[in-house]
Amino acid sequence: MNTIRLYLHSMRMLLKCQLEYPVSFFLQALAQLVMEGGEMMAVILIIDRFDRLNQWETGDLFFFFGIMSVTFYLTECFGRGLTGNFPSLIRTGQLDTLLTRPRGVLTQILCSAVDPRRITCIAVGTAALVIGCRLSHVQWTLPKAAAFAEAILFGCMLILALFMIEAIFMIYSVKSVELVNALSYGGRSACEYPIDIYPRPLRILFTAVAPFALVLHVPSAYILEKPLYGWPSWTAFVCPLAGAVFFGLIYVVFRKAMTHYRSTGS
Amino acid sequence: MRTYLSVFRLRRRMETQYRGAMIGGIICQVMFGLILIALYRALYQNKPQAMPVGHVVTYVWLQQAFFRMLLASDPDLLDKIRTGGIAYDLCRPVNLYAFYYVRIMAQKITGSLMRAVPMLILAALLPEGWGISLPDSLPGLLLSLPALLLGLFCVTALENITMAFTMRTLDPRGIQALLNLLMMTLSGNILPLTLFPDSWQRVITLLPYAQLLDAPIRLYTGDVPPAAAGRILLIQALWTAALTGLGYWLWQRHQRRLVLQGG
Repeated sequence: MNTIRLYLHSMRMLLKCQLEYPVSFFLQALAQLVMEGGEMMAVILIIDRFDRLNQWETGDLFFFFGIMSVTFYLTECFGRGLTGNFPSLIRTGQLDTLLTRPRGVLTQILCSAVDPRRITCIAVGTAALVIGCRLSHVQWTLPKAAAFAEAILFGCMLILALFMIEAIFMIYSVKSVELVNALSYGGRSACEYPIDIYPRPLRILFTAVAPFALVLHVPSAYILEKPLYGWPSWTAFVCPLAGAVFFGLIYVVFRKAMTHYRSTGS
Repeated sequence: MRTYLSVFRLRRRMETQYRGAMIGGIICQVMFGLILIALYRALYQNKPQAMPVGHVVTYVWLQQAFFRMLLASDPDLLDKIRTGGIAYDLCRPVNLYAFYYVRIMAQKITGSLMRAVPMLILAALLPEGWGISLPDSLPGLLLSLPALLLGLFCVTALENITMAFTMRTLDPRGIQALLNLLMMTLSGNILPLTLFPDSWQRVITLLPYAQLLDAPIRLYTGDVPPAAAGRILLIQALWTAALTGLGYWLWQRHQRRLVLQGG
């Protein structure tokens, strides 16, 4: 409980800092909007030319794009300490100071930064979700809302864990290993579209290794009432837990890696 | 001239130092290429288009292979402007525009060739329908090479214009993000320009961004027949001249009004 209060307190302070320079904040948020708008334009143009993708219709494709976009940018907004600032913490040796304080390292990293500019990206994703629901005539029910909330929550944990893999590599190698981006950013690009359109190796990669399909696509397909692979509806509530399991596994490895941390400091 | 040649050679040597980054970059690009191709193949299965899927696959591979050419490549200068270090550059007995033009071009050529050669070999080894296909015709291939060179001049000139704006505004992040987005979308990196609505394509292919990679790729795949190549090369040459001229003028102007930062 105390940790959560600490987190909220630091978020409040960081937000105040960012809003000290409203013009700069506004311009950068605008740039983010245009960037994510560009991604969405690609989806619109693809739909305009191809109409549909197997059993997935226009609205469904918007929904898949939207849920990925919202999840990914929520993580980048609140997990900024890990997704953005970690490399410089390692390179400059600032991580040492975190080790001297009576809190978990991960907690402190997450409390150290927030990126409110991403709010425009999240807005674009939300717009895509709303358009998708309209076009696909989604009837919201309580179980569906629960599946949706679960997908977003565990999706954030999954993406955070993917960025943690990069952090783990950095603890050993100091230099950032962009290779790992292939899994996080590649997963985002690939899983903006439903998983079942991809050939088997990519399906395995994004189901068994980085389980985007289990966490985001199974519940989405349930909400759209077009079950993925014809799986029964209870899977929509169980599969997203894969995100939490993945996070747990990576967290254990992260703890282990931290014991090997050797400062670069001077 | 000799001065600029040696600047070119030095930057080229610097760019070849980062082999680890290169291998990481290649693997990332290959991964993205495969994902995009899988997506376009699935789309084509539903609704085949006038342009064969092989062309789209080739388009994606060539875009990924020369991706480095599009990326902004000289963060040094931005730092120099912000910290006032550019004062040293102003003391050099060279034309600054040409100096940076050569530096940026050396990085782009070396960086993209180092990545493109292994990636294209890999893409050629992939099975039919996934790998890059051979050029449509020999003249097509021969004409796409000068087109690629003109594209390189164009993108270097474009980057120099961005730099010129930095001299005035100091915080280039906003405008850079916007220009980058324009670059990635309108050069066909996010979605091949050949898949844009046909009515848009008539306008988009005339813009400078389409001259970088889209024009040479269309010549390579035979989407534009060699007979029509003259028009393409002419458009490219015109844009190169216009952008270089504009960049040169902006640099001269902004250089005179430049405020040195720091101390």
